[in-house]
Amino acid sequence: MRAHTIVTATLLATGITAAIVVGCENKAVQQQQQASGNLGASTSVADLMKSRGLSEADVEAALKTYVPTGKMDEYYIFASGGQSGNVDVIGVPSMRMLKVIGVFTPESWQGWGFGGDSDKILEGGNQGAHKIRWADMHHPNLSETKGEYDGQYLFVNDKANARVAVVDLADFATKQIVPNPLAASDHGGAFVTPDTDYVIETSQYPSPLGREYAPITEYKEKYRGVAIFWKFDRQKGRIDPSKSWALELPPYTQDLADAGKLDSDGWAFINSFNTEMAVGGTLDGKPPVESGASQNDMDYLHVINWKKAEALVNAGKTKTIAGMRVLTMDVAGPEGVLTLVGEPKSPHGCDVTPDGKQVIVGGKLDTHTTIYDIAKMKALIEQKKFDGKDAYGLPILPFKESIAGQVEIGLGPLHTVFDDKGNAYTSVFIESVVAKWSYKDYKKPVEKLKVHYNIGHILSAEGDTVSPDGKYVVAMNKMSMDRFLPVGPLYPQNFQLIDVDGEKMRYLADMPLPNAEPHYSQMIKADKIKAVKAYKPGTNALGEIDPAKVEGGKERIVRNGNKVEVFMTAIRSHFTPDRIEVEEGDEVTIHISSLETAEDQTHGFTIDMYNVNVSLEPGKHENISFKADMPGSYPMYCTEFCSALHLEMMGYFLVKPKKK
Amino acid sequence: MESNRTSSGGLDEPGRVVHGGDGHVHLRVVDRSPPEGAARRPWDWARWLVVALGGMSVASFVGSFLLPWWRFWLYAPQYPKGLMLVISLTGMGGDVHEIDLLNHYIGMKHLADAAPNERMLAGYGVAAIGVLTLAGMALAGKKLNKWVAIPAVAFPVVFLSDSFYWLYSFGHDLDPKAPLRIGAFTPELFGNGQIGQFATFAQPAAGFWVALAGVALAVAANVVRSRVCTHCAHASECSLVCPRAMVLPDKARSAS
Repeated sequence: MRAHTIVTATLLATGITAAIVVGCENKAVQQQQQASGNLGASTSVADLMKSRGLSEADVEAALKTYVPTGKMDEYYIFASGGQSGNVDVIGVPSMRMLKVIGVFTPESWQGWGFGGDSDKILEGGNQGAHKIRWADMHHPNLSETKGEYDGQYLFVNDKANARVAVVDLADFATKQIVPNPLAASDHGGAFVTPDTDYVIETSQYPSPLGREYAPITEYKEKYRGVAIFWKFDRQKGRIDPSKSWALELPPYTQDLADAGKLDSDGWAFINSFNTEMAVGGTLDGKPPVESGASQNDMDYLHVINWKKAEALVNAGKTKTIAGMRVLTMDVAGPEGVLTLVGEPKSPHGCDVTPDGKQVIVGGKLDTHTTIYDIAKMKALIEQKKFDGKDAYGLPILPFKESIAGQVEIGLGPLHTVFDDKGNAYTSVFIESVVAKWSYKDYKKPVEKLKVHYNIGHILSAEGDTVSPDGKYVVAMNKMSMDRFLPVGPLYPQNFQLIDVDGEKMRYLADMPLPNAEPHYSQMIKADKIKAVKAYKPGTNALGEIDPAKVEGGKERIVRNGNKVEVFMTAIRSHFTPDRIEVEEGDEVTIHISSLETAEDQTHGFTIDMYNVNVSLEPGKHENISFKADMPGSYPMYCTEFCSALHLEMMGYFLVKPKKK
Repeated sequence: MESNRTSSGGLDEPGRVVHGGDGHVHLRVVDRSPPEGAARRPWDWARWLVVALGGMSVASFVGSFLLPWWRFWLYAPQYPKGLMLVISLTGMGGDVHEIDLLNHYIGMKHLADAAPNERMLAGYGVAAIGVLTLAGMALAGKKLNKWVAIPAVAFPVVFLSDSFYWLYSFGHDLDPKAPLRIGAFTPELFGNGQIGQFATFAQPAAGFWVALAGVALAVAANVVRSRVCTHCAHASECSLVCPRAMVLPDKARSAS
């Protein structure tokens, strides 16, 4: 009986405690339910539509794009920021801007290029004698594994200064800028091969390789195009210039590029215009390039067997120019590595279909898109069935035997993207429409949707992978005219979101691009991106644990001659140390670590008047070096509103004047 | 394996070495069934229950040592996922860094400064409880039995009282120079509370429940053990330890 009583008592006690706990949890659930609210619609939808003048289509579009608070977008767009030199990150379908990633251009919020370690990355992108701090960013490309976006890296090119940058999508920060040593401008980049072995960067306006001087009268002899195959080291997350190589191209103005995939893996395609090799000379009464370059009915699509080129490079059949191994045309032509095929007229856009079987080229001054059959071209190259050679001895494939067909699209077809149902969507610049057609059945009618206005590039959800998602297409319009509130003579660009899920294309939303003219963009499923929420303590801008990282309690100031090293920490809501006193002329280095670990707890650090500002995300470390050349008493403070005592998060940087 | 099957026919000879048909020695079979005609003793099963209960009790205390004992949650608008503090016998885990950081605004000490001696001694405490619980089983029928069970029963109570003491102490010993002065308070040890903008919620975790189970098992083991003794004819012969009552077969004891 006694044992029975005790067991019962214990059970009872456990039960009571459990009941207390469950009771408490219930209370918490109730509180949550209250917080989520119970809002009744106070105005009927019909009244709202009437008062705002909305059609049913408007309401449907609104419902398809509205993302209520607490919910998230389905896709990311990574858009080139054009002249801003930085990347715009946009959510789809809301078309809200999520972030601007500092890449080629200083970006002061992220402290990108204002005294911290990011300066070293920007310095790495200098070309020639000039500190280059702007870029004309054109084509972002996401890293791929087996032809699918893997959400790890983003590559972007700078047309103006011939550079490629690597952005790490773990922290949405730029890790590397690689200057092209051969070309003076680029365009066909940064396109990746299906496993991101290479990032392809092709020159745009020809110039002597290595950027030597040559008179313009020697254009045909001395000026050249070039395609760089940048070797990407995925383990390190960096381009390895020492393992990269280049392919010399004729001085036709190479334009866009795309890598083959699946059946056509190992091949790359670059289109070109100005095979006339016009160089202008308007003051001398010669036609400008625009007309000189538009005389021929055909230009050349470059067909490149890069796997074979790689083998030739590894076999040492290269010439070293400006420190880079270059496979020259006199080797590449006869070896079948570089072959040309005609393309109508002044083309733009060069897009491999998802199945890797075709390349689609839009003729800017032609009304067609031309669909090239890659298998046919490979067979012709194999059989050496050529239509002759160009001035540089490069074999030319017979046009009619190389193509699968042509489709009448409209005035000024440019770029083409794809969906999951065998449809192609071509941007038609002059007509200002998106043209939907079938790349599997050319006889299907072409459907057109007006866009506003002058569409350049176009993008679709995962549109250049081996398995596009369909769903959304975005028209990237160069002009917006009457679409947004006036903001002076420089107008925003206009991204227009189009629903391509149904039988017909349907317009969904406009988004003004307020910071520059984006060119190409790519759209990736949001769940493929695994962004970190905080850094491992002591991580610097290069993504490494910095040897000078500072731990709490180990803050100090060390003087060595005229070199002063400050080991500083930042945590809500103070810097330690909060007073630094140096002598005029001292070389100062501030090593500063954020001791924060919590999500979204970012500090900034600035020293007034010294052009210093870094962003200290949780766990981030920065090294700031400068000369204390202005005597005075300068406040230093946190530039990110971090806490209720954010304004109090400050200190003084004192520079004692030299004794006279 | 094969030979086992051959020898299975010889199991009718208990306690003997069995020779298989192939001439090899195979098994030594011990028969644990009561001798022919002897009445089965009513408390036989209890001997094993005592061993099981005692062993589980000790295992529970060791387990509780490794598990978290208490959890605190803090919710505020800027912490939608909340912050969590996990207390175990030897330390704490979860968002300690962030909670310390927030506490510095109200002048509270670092969490690492709480209960340093208790955390240092906890391991020895659990070990001592284990030893005493086992001893309690051995001391069945002795008066001392009741006393050695006290530490096990008291342990969760001591933990609760000590936790309350430290909560009180931390909430009442705030730095007067802190940026925010919120006045002395004691954080809630059970259920919902409120500190500044933080809604708090606290409850015991697995370690505490497992320790409580350990207490119940220790008590049960002792009770059952006492009853075994009461029914044992040799209870009067037992000195400190009574191995016969615990593990040996009936055969080793003479029928009453």
